[in-house]
Amino acid sequence: MKFKAINKKMLRLLAVLVPLLLLFFYVALRSGPLASVPVTVVAVEKRAITPVLSGIGTLEARYTYRIGSVSSGRVKQLSVDVGDLVKAGQVVGEIDPVDLDEHLGAQRSAVKRAEAGVLSAEAQLRDAKAKQAFTASQEKRYRSLLQASAVSAELMDAKHQEADAASAAASGAQANVNAARQGLASVKSEYQGMVNQRNNLLLVAPMDGVVTSRDAEPGNTVLAGQTVIEMIDPKSLWVAVRFDQLQSAGLKAALPAAVRLRSQSGKSFAASVQRVEPLADRVTEEILAKVVFTVQPDPLPPVGELCEVSVQLPPLQSVPVVPNASVHRVDGQLGVWVVDGSALRFAPVRIGATDHAGNIQVLEGLQSGDRVVVYSKSTLRAGSRITIIKNNGKGTLL
Amino acid sequence: MSGNGIVIEGLQKRYGSGDTHVDALKGVDMQVAPAEVVGLVGPSGSGKSTLLKCLGAVIEPSAGRIRLGDEIIYDGGWKIRDLRALRRDNIGFVFQAPYLIPFLDVVDNVALLPMLAGERNGAARKRAMELLEALDVAHRAKAMPAQLSGGEQQRVAIARALVNHPPVILADEPTAPLDSQRALAVIAILNDMARQYETAIIIVTHDEKIIPTFKRIYHIRDGRTHEEAGEGKRFD
Amino acid sequence: MISLAGRDILHGWVRFLMTGFGLGLLIGVTLSMAGIYRGMVDDANVLIDNSGADLWVVQQGTLGPYAEPSSLYDDSYRSILGMAGVARAANVTYLTMQVRHGGGDVRAMVVGVVPGGPGEPGQPGFLVAGRHLTGGRYEAVADVKAGCALGDTIVIRRNRFRVVGLTRRMVSSGGDPMLFIPLKDAQEAQFLKDNDMLLQQRRRTDLNPLFNRPNVPGLLDAVIASQTTSVYVNAVLVQLKPGYAPEAVAKDIQRWQRLQVYTRPQMRTILVDKLIATSAKQIGMFLVILSIVSAAIVAFIIYTMTMAKIREIAVLKLIGTRNRVIASMILQQAVGLGAIGFVVGKIAATLWSPFFPRYVLLEPGDAIRGFIIVMVISVLASILAITAALKVDPAEAIGG
Repeated sequence: MKFKAINKKMLRLLAVLVPLLLLFFYVALRSGPLASVPVTVVAVEKRAITPVLSGIGTLEARYTYRIGSVSSGRVKQLSVDVGDLVKAGQVVGEIDPVDLDEHLGAQRSAVKRAEAGVLSAEAQLRDAKAKQAFTASQEKRYRSLLQASAVSAELMDAKHQEADAASAAASGAQANVNAARQGLASVKSEYQGMVNQRNNLLLVAPMDGVVTSRDAEPGNTVLAGQTVIEMIDPKSLWVAVRFDQLQSAGLKAALPAAVRLRSQSGKSFAASVQRVEPLADRVTEEILAKVVFTVQPDPLPPVGELCEVSVQLPPLQSVPVVPNASVHRVDGQLGVWVVDGSALRFAPVRIGATDHAGNIQVLEGLQSGDRVVVYSKSTLRAGSRITIIKNNGKGTLL
Repeated sequence: MSGNGIVIEGLQKRYGSGDTHVDALKGVDMQVAPAEVVGLVGPSGSGKSTLLKCLGAVIEPSAGRIRLGDEIIYDGGWKIRDLRALRRDNIGFVFQAPYLIPFLDVVDNVALLPMLAGERNGAARKRAMELLEALDVAHRAKAMPAQLSGGEQQRVAIARALVNHPPVILADEPTAPLDSQRALAVIAILNDMARQYETAIIIVTHDEKIIPTFKRIYHIRDGRTHEEAGEGKRFD
Repeated sequence: MISLAGRDILHGWVRFLMTGFGLGLLIGVTLSMAGIYRGMVDDANVLIDNSGADLWVVQQGTLGPYAEPSSLYDDSYRSILGMAGVARAANVTYLTMQVRHGGGDVRAMVVGVVPGGPGEPGQPGFLVAGRHLTGGRYEAVADVKAGCALGDTIVIRRNRFRVVGLTRRMVSSGGDPMLFIPLKDAQEAQFLKDNDMLLQQRRRTDLNPLFNRPNVPGLLDAVIASQTTSVYVNAVLVQLKPGYAPEAVAKDIQRWQRLQVYTRPQMRTILVDKLIATSAKQIGMFLVILSIVSAAIVAFIIYTMTMAKIREIAVLKLIGTRNRVIASMILQQAVGLGAIGFVVGKIAATLWSPFFPRYVLLEPGDAIRGFIIVMVISVLASILAITAALKVDPAEAIGG
């Protein structure tokens, strides 16, 4: 009876103070250095991991044909545009001949003139030969007359000299004919050359393909060698890929690969490695390779599009494997935190290859069945108190 | 201290010094026997409070002698070391207002004094309850002072004054706030207690209702007292 | 003897508790402020400790990479690797920028790391989910403060990154969460401009007759290609072989590579003394003022609480209570109030700290110091009040 009134107040006061004190101790123990670090743990198991190489590449055409004129000129007309399909031999454009046609005309006339010259030279030759024959027979006649002393030696010499002169004239005429013929041949060749040139002003597609670029318009002046039309063979698309040298051990031709285009990030195209380039990129420290599609994508993606390529390397030997989140460097040594019962110890390891999901091979330092710490809420040290939390499977968020 | 009551001889009290001094008490003589209840009557400024304070060892007189029981507590200077103990053990105070400790219940208010003196809680409370019963407020023992009526509080105050059975009780206007019926009741109680415990009681008052009850009255004026016989009226 | 202090508290327990709670909140605020200060310094320290580096190699003459911008060629690390004492050296880029995530922007420090695997300099020290970067491009490891979940997409400049791992306490000295992405992607993000700017640049180059010569067909393409390569990094992080002194190796690198090198203590000085100095001092000063004000309020409350009981004290004195008993009553109440205040304050500070946008580090040392100070203040304040109380003339209780 004495304590009833006091007790009620006391009870109410204690009802506030006791939970307060409990909360205080809870708070003191759960934060600060007295608190234990929540961690998740996984058991090491032996697995054969399949490393995957990832690289970035661009879609390229194996062969790019650049069609241009061999001489400077002005573009007269173009009959195709970007995206058109062309056949081998198709005329895709023309360079303006300017005065070439007139030159051709002049050359044709020159050829004709040379032909006429040849005819005239031949006629002269015939004439000279006829004279030569006549003078020769005259000489013979007079020689026999001389022997009969019917004519004077003087006359004989004169006729002899006429015969020689006629021979010389005949040779000269023959030479003229040769010269005229050569002249004709040379003018004809020049003419032919001009014709070829005239033909070259026609831009012709060398292969079946697709026009990818139209670099000059009708009316533009182009220099000799400048590209007017660019085209590719769409069947010859491949991906020029760069792999970081750090990760590219084991890359070789014929490995299967998957290509994802930047514009279609959901789809993955089957492909394979065509070749690994013998020259790597010194500056960016990358290995170059070419990857071809197993089946050409339809519709054709544009050349130059960015692709992500993953190459499947052959699976490695089955060795103990840990998630790469478990590996830490402590005091310069690479290793994992192993849980023995509830005690923590740092085990140095030698690691091997990694696969794309983050599994690392442990070549030395762990056995399958060892339990290692995967995730922790703060940095672990030797002697840290730990509380093991169940891994919720998706990748625990602590 | 055994029961020889209060003896005061030539008590003087001077406030200040030099030209600006005030003589509150100029030579007071008083005797109160054990079990006697006397009144101390006088106008304000007459030195009543000063006299009470000197008797209660609250202030130091300037000259004279005070004897409580068979101990001289003042003779030109305090003769007792521990005045507080003196007050606690030998003097009981009753004021105009009850001045109870608001955070202690009634029984603990009364039992506090013996506890302070070192007595065990159980025994102290037992004594307190006896007094409360005598004063007819035992039924309110566990209540807090704020829950009591004025008269009940005053009775508890009286119980507190009496709990250590002091030989002397000094009461300063104990009936001022009370009506005549309650005032007479209080005086009756004090008289009973005086008889029962052989306590000498000085009641300072100017309450006309209770003055007739005193057998002896000391009038005090200008720092001097003179004795007078009272009517000694009995209570109805 | 009953406990006067206890009885008094019981009599007005609600008011006592509420005073304690009020004091507690004030003490909690002071403890939090100390925590904010320490958190700020810890952010700077954690940046250094988490990088895993023993040396920072930056552009000559700069205080980089955190305090000042710094650019080095990304092949400098090769020569550094060749120096005596260097075990590992890795390029790293830092850029604080807005990244788009979900519907909104997040301010983050984008760190470009060489995806050489865990334990390499610059990589996050521990994960709370997911995995480290494994060399694919357009992957990211994010700090949880960025608010991403595994599998989320983050957009940095023109590329989309998939979050493959989550980490904690990886923050910049300004408290921004870190985002780890492969170095090449980070170089692009930092040194390459966005599409619009690139087009403008191409157009300008095109119009420039120096670069666009018709009789040199490949020149324009070559110039444009050279403008869009990114060959810089912000720093090279170096880890040393055991047994080599950082200062010695630093001096070697500085001398032969003509680059600036900082050791850990030097980096700490730069970050803590230069970068966060002003903010830290700002908070530090406020902390001091707040502590003084809190102390004054605690003292005031205890003093007022006592003076409110002056009449009871006078009565107690009058009826013969020893000074010691009265003093002890006041002292017990003051200490009790201080204790409740501290308990409430510590709980409050711990409970509301996680909601602050920046890290709040509540050290137990601070809590203990706080407790001692609160107790000392309580005792001193009660002594002041006791002195006032005991001066009370018990004669006041007897009317005049």
